[in-house]
Amino acid sequence: MREITLSQAVNEALAEEMRRDETVFIIGEDVAEAGTPFKVLSGLVEEFGTARVVDTPIAEPGFMGLGVGAAMTGSRPVVDLMFGDFIYLIMDQLCNQAAKSYYMSGGKLNVPLVLRTNLGATRRSAAQHSQSLHALVAHIPGLKVAMPSSAYEAKGLMKTAIRDDNPVVIFEDKLMYNDKAPVPEDEFLIPFGEANVKREGSDITLIGTSSMVQVCEAAAEILAKEGIEAEVIDPRTIVPLDEAALLESAKKTSRVIVVDEGHQSYGITGEIAGRINEKAFYHLDAPVLRMGAMDVPVPFSPALEDITVPTPEAVAEKARKLMSGEMIHAA
Amino acid sequence: MPHDNGPHDVIMPALGMAQETGKIVAWQKSEGDAVKTGDVLFEVETDKATMEVEAQADGFLNGVRAAAGEDVPVGNVIAQIGSEAQASEPVAPAAPETGSAEALPEGAEVIMPALGMAQDTGLIVAWHKALGDEVAAGDILFEVETDKATMDVEAGENGYVAALLAEAGEAAPVGAPIAVISAEKPANPVQRSQADAAAPATSQTKADSAPDSKPEPEPAKVPQAPAPKRTDGRILASPKARRLALEQGLDLKRLVEAGHPQPYHVADLEVLKALPEKTAGSAATASRHLTAELSTDGFAEFAAWASESEGLNDTNTLLAGLAAASLGQGEATITVESFDQARAYAVPAGAFSAITLAEEGATPELILRDLRMSRVSTVALGAEEAPVLTLSYAGSRLVVTLECAGHHLTAAQAVSLLSEFAGRVEQPLRHLL
Repeated sequence: MREITLSQAVNEALAEEMRRDETVFIIGEDVAEAGTPFKVLSGLVEEFGTARVVDTPIAEPGFMGLGVGAAMTGSRPVVDLMFGDFIYLIMDQLCNQAAKSYYMSGGKLNVPLVLRTNLGATRRSAAQHSQSLHALVAHIPGLKVAMPSSAYEAKGLMKTAIRDDNPVVIFEDKLMYNDKAPVPEDEFLIPFGEANVKREGSDITLIGTSSMVQVCEAAAEILAKEGIEAEVIDPRTIVPLDEAALLESAKKTSRVIVVDEGHQSYGITGEIAGRINEKAFYHLDAPVLRMGAMDVPVPFSPALEDITVPTPEAVAEKARKLMSGEMIHAA
Repeated sequence: MPHDNGPHDVIMPALGMAQETGKIVAWQKSEGDAVKTGDVLFEVETDKATMEVEAQADGFLNGVRAAAGEDVPVGNVIAQIGSEAQASEPVAPAAPETGSAEALPEGAEVIMPALGMAQDTGLIVAWHKALGDEVAAGDILFEVETDKATMDVEAGENGYVAALLAEAGEAAPVGAPIAVISAEKPANPVQRSQADAAAPATSQTKADSAPDSKPEPEPAKVPQAPAPKRTDGRILASPKARRLALEQGLDLKRLVEAGHPQPYHVADLEVLKALPEKTAGSAATASRHLTAELSTDGFAEFAAWASESEGLNDTNTLLAGLAAASLGQGEATITVESFDQARAYAVPAGAFSAITLAEEGATPELILRDLRMSRVSTVALGAEEAPVLTLSYAGSRLVVTLECAGHHLTAAQAVSLLSEFAGRVEQPLRHLL
């Protein structure tokens, strides 16, 4: 199968959906001529014109509001938020309007909007351009949250998001835009709420999201050399969450580490660990561990920044501890 | 400590760990007042807070010997609650009631702190310092358990452990001295239990006869600092290990008794299974003993028929076949013992003719002991390495006895095995069906 970059995969997904459905359009900063700072959208304005690939001033609340309104009135906007960190600016449009309109209008106003944005540290972009804020939106009922972990997921999830009749937020990892993966040329969609078992194993389950899926896979490689068979699972969407698949794996291996690039406290890792604890308690042979980003603003210093996010070595080390029966907080 | 009908002492409670005295802010009850358990008696101020102290008994407040505004050492009796109001009598400011305090080394007394307001005693879970140890004020001296919580208690003084007046596992009344911390290295360290405190004469002799040169703590009496033995009986084990232990009838306590380090995980259950059998013991290791009595022995008739029409002359083979089928697990290895002869048979599922002698050294799933030709009528031999079915006669009745260890078969499995086997012996045709 051909291999394309995550960036090309997103571009293809958008182009295919815009060809298929003329109500789909893109709006955001530097989306047209510039094709975004990561060049993900290059070529789209040439094909679809500036009426469907709309450049805006630097005014996130404004264009997000335009997107919500357009979605309510028959369009399928893909709102491009250049950095996930800017989500703070559009919280009302996203969380109070987009997420709640269907409910507040008694089902008369749905908002088929996709918010395309990103996450991920270690790009030396400092504390205001390096955050992974997906937990903020996953907390809000009414928003779906997709977290592609490769070019394949990026394309399949984007197409599903555009066809969804309700708001979806997609977080792409900005460090993975140039990573290649096999992506079929034929059309495909990836349904929401279906986890993907990336690697089968019997000893321990590593649940990773987005960028952390490859970290878990690398950790599993390290562990395999030591005779520990780790299972790696990618939930692919955290809302809806394929809880059944995660529980099944937890029951199979009886040990789980949840790895996510958001800050560890009050984050995705805690949510998933909590569900496993509630529903697979009597199958656990060790506490479910969380590994998120350190609870600090992401440092600019490269040396410091690199130690704030989980690494394959750190995940493997925690896995070894669970395997050896060392309860990390045994009193 | 239960106070039967005698007067109940009201002491100055220890509200903080490093607190030596408490200041009585105000009395809420006066001499002679009727009080009920839970009534606020007085307010006390420490360096940290002001708190209300409740009565711990019903009765009348008597013998108030500290007035509002006074600083009172923690543990001192400041009043009594008696069954009737008494005329106030002047009482000398009391020293803490320490029983045989005069025999103790000089130093600061460490008392059992009041960790809860409605607490009479505290259980010493473990001493973290041994007799003669040097301690700093902030060192953990002991762990105490109340009805609500277990807490670490700091020494509160710099010095040496000169006396330990309660043993780990013992409860001591709130306010009672349980240790002495001396400024100098103690010449005659004293170790007692609370039980000794009740009989001070003997304990004193013991203390006096201790060598005086250097404190040599008796190892048996001094628990190790990282006390893994928990007196509350709580075992640290993973949820899965606990569940599997329950399902398999294994008792995690045996691992504790064997000194296997906690916390326990599924892998530790293998260690548990490998522990030597105890002859008498806990529920999981107890042996099971079941008997069934049959009025008719259909087996003898069946054996005769099998020999005649099928050419099966070895009745032991037939017994092995019936026993294996009663286990209901398909293939099985059955050892049949009769006349001091033991033979192991490999019994596949199916016809008797397919039964063969098992390979040497095969471990049987079931032992069948045929005592029908002996004079033995009842057996109770205890569990062996595999479940044992014994056939014997009691008069004209055939008795089938099943004995096994708790971990061999669950109670339900044992009942099922015995009734299956008894049914097959009574009516061998049932087996053929």
